[in-house]
Amino acid sequence: MATVWRSQCAFARFFAGKTGLILNNTADLGAKVRPDSISVSKRLYSNYGNSPFVRRIQEQYAYEVVKNPPEWSYVERLLPFEGIPKVTPKDCYPSGWIPRKEEASNLPYFLQRTKNEELSIYLDISCRGMRKISKIKKIEGDIWLLNDELKEYLKNRYNRYIESRVHELAKFIEFKGDYVNALKEWAHSKGF
Amino acid sequence: MGSRQITEKSLAMLRSLPRISIGNLRDNPGHKKNSKRGRGQHGGDKHGAGNKGSGQRMNYMRLGYETGNNPFYLRMPQEHYYRGHHFRRQYPPLSLQQVQLLIDKNRLDISKPVDIASIVKSGLYNFFPDQKHFGVNLTDEGVDNFAAKINIEVQWASEQVIAAIERNGGVITTAYYDPHSLFLLKDPKQFFENGQSIPRRMIPPPDAIEYYTSAKNRGYLADPEEISQDRLRLAQKYGYELPKLENDPSYEMLCERKDPRQIFYGLDPGWVINLKDQCILKPKDEELVRFFAS
Amino acid sequence: MASLLINALRKIHISTPQIRSSFLSSSAVCSNTLTITKKDWKYPPQYTKPREVWIENVDTVEEKKLGLFELHPLVYAATPRIDIIQRNVIWQRKFRWVSWAHTKTRAEVRGGGKKPWPQKGQGRARHGSIRSPLFRGGGVAHGPRSGKTHFYMLPFHLRIHGLTSTLSAKLAQDDLHVVKDLELPSDEPEYLIDLIESRNWGPSVLIVDDTDYAPRNLTVASDSLPHVNIMPVYGLNVYSMLKHDTLILTQSAAEKIEERILHYLHSDTKKQQAQFKLDQV
Repeated sequence: MATVWRSQCAFARFFAGKTGLILNNTADLGAKVRPDSISVSKRLYSNYGNSPFVRRIQEQYAYEVVKNPPEWSYVERLLPFEGIPKVTPKDCYPSGWIPRKEEASNLPYFLQRTKNEELSIYLDISCRGMRKISKIKKIEGDIWLLNDELKEYLKNRYNRYIESRVHELAKFIEFKGDYVNALKEWAHSKGF
Repeated sequence: MGSRQITEKSLAMLRSLPRISIGNLRDNPGHKKNSKRGRGQHGGDKHGAGNKGSGQRMNYMRLGYETGNNPFYLRMPQEHYYRGHHFRRQYPPLSLQQVQLLIDKNRLDISKPVDIASIVKSGLYNFFPDQKHFGVNLTDEGVDNFAAKINIEVQWASEQVIAAIERNGGVITTAYYDPHSLFLLKDPKQFFENGQSIPRRMIPPPDAIEYYTSAKNRGYLADPEEISQDRLRLAQKYGYELPKLENDPSYEMLCERKDPRQIFYGLDPGWVINLKDQCILKPKDEELVRFFAS
Repeated sequence: MASLLINALRKIHISTPQIRSSFLSSSAVCSNTLTITKKDWKYPPQYTKPREVWIENVDTVEEKKLGLFELHPLVYAATPRIDIIQRNVIWQRKFRWVSWAHTKTRAEVRGGGKKPWPQKGQGRARHGSIRSPLFRGGGVAHGPRSGKTHFYMLPFHLRIHGLTSTLSAKLAQDDLHVVKDLELPSDEPEYLIDLIESRNWGPSVLIVDDTDYAPRNLTVASDSLPHVNIMPVYGLNVYSMLKHDTLILTQSAAEKIEERILHYLHSDTKKQQAQFKLDQV
């Protein structure tokens, strides 16, 4: 019964006019609602019965589509690179980075640079800092000749025999000790 | 006598070996570690659990309990100096040496203004906004070797760094980005593919407003007059001649700065970028235009 | 290098070729002359020399060499790593496999809710349920559970390395042939069998084309032959290349493979690696 009365009231509300608002539960209690009988200061929207119907919802806002916009260059600047950008030759490199030289490919061995154009010479530290191994990776060409030359170079520089390990298939040489800077200097001197 | 080159030697070896097929393959020695089976002499009987006690019966004491003495995790008292450290803003560092390296390797385009989006795009710097990282902190490592004229926008910079950049004729600004904007800047392509409109950048929180409105830090909300006065002060302090920006051919590029509510260069809030059709959708409704311009 | 080629060609009694340099284009076929394309590499080979292959035809059963084609050494002359090839093959076999073996646990086996006999006094061992793993007819303790996936991803650079190793191995062992196009004169399978026999290609042949659609004659002819298979470029994988004895690439397919692999070798692959990276945070 109450539900029927409520739905009839709802119908009345919908076509009531400007102040078609049920402001209190007068409809449920049976009293007739007249626009002037409701005071403006008592608008209570706390529940379904009290709140007004939503009339007009704007879901679509007006917009314009700009084809070939002049700001497209800004968008392209934000998109990621296709591949790593190539290095353009410059006069000097203030950061201390040394680029690869052309004459390096004429030697019997070759040290390939990484994707970020850096030398592939690393220091592996293990056993709580007691074991230091300098590793040269990405070696092409005659690895045994390179091993001999590097051993001689390090022996002349440090006045002692330095043990090395050659892994031909995996293309690296490991030196027992921290000689990374010396090896990098040697590589730069050869133009790698 | 074959070639001594590694690749040529291995490929020449293959010519005299049988064809590589699925039945011919083998991984390196040591790739497989046989797991202990729960049967037999070594894995059976007590199955590695020992005799009696909590080890075999699996009813251990709680983690960290040290059988009665004061456990390690309770020995250290609280230090109130680090209270609220997990609420503080963090700025992962990027040194000037690294910036110079990026420029030398052609990963950073200096002919356009540089902001955190271009630094992340270069590939050699990353930050995580969800871990309370609020942007780039330009450190002064490599301040002596820095020699590039750039228009750079970071979130934190010390005085030496500002001096180094201005000495080379560049412009540095410190700007605040709220975490949502930082997510957008970190991966703009993913954001554009979402189809959402570019939001407005929020203003800095109360404890950061002082930093970003001071000319000493080249804040983006600071008075340009005061900034130019501070440039002179720095030039006098560190002893270099302040280069005249007006005479510079790339003066326009160096002066390009973002609006305090703008996230990307050249793109206003409210726009939707369509990457596939290469068009931009701009709102026309007054309400929206007013909202995004506010 | 060009002079060496000309000398070699003279020995085979072919008329002197016209050397035309073209920007990454395919060679044009003239009736009696051979063309050698000098490629303009985007990532020029730094040390290892590029490989050269003959461009062959499939129009006739006997072999006709239509030209010479250069291949990038990073893709077709990489050090063949058998262990990486093995890891790729194992990965391809395992990552899609779902094991459907299933056993019931002691909870799932019918019955066994009641304590079979009292705890003490019987002189028998103490038990709580007749379906425990100790019992005959009881559940299996650590048996297989249905729908067990064995998915894992091999790191992106290892998959690329596997492709380059296999391609280099195939080329080194004379099992890689580059063909100009796949237009067969007839759609009979006997033609294909004769072709494969006469050229000493292995019994099983994998034909890789640039596009999804192969010419009709080839499709019909290879349809009835289970050991001759056609594949588009994006389906190239280590397992298929090893399963088939010979690998036939069209010129455009060879170029596309080279371009894609070189692109990934020279770009930042963090996104591809991060997709399947196991998080340890």
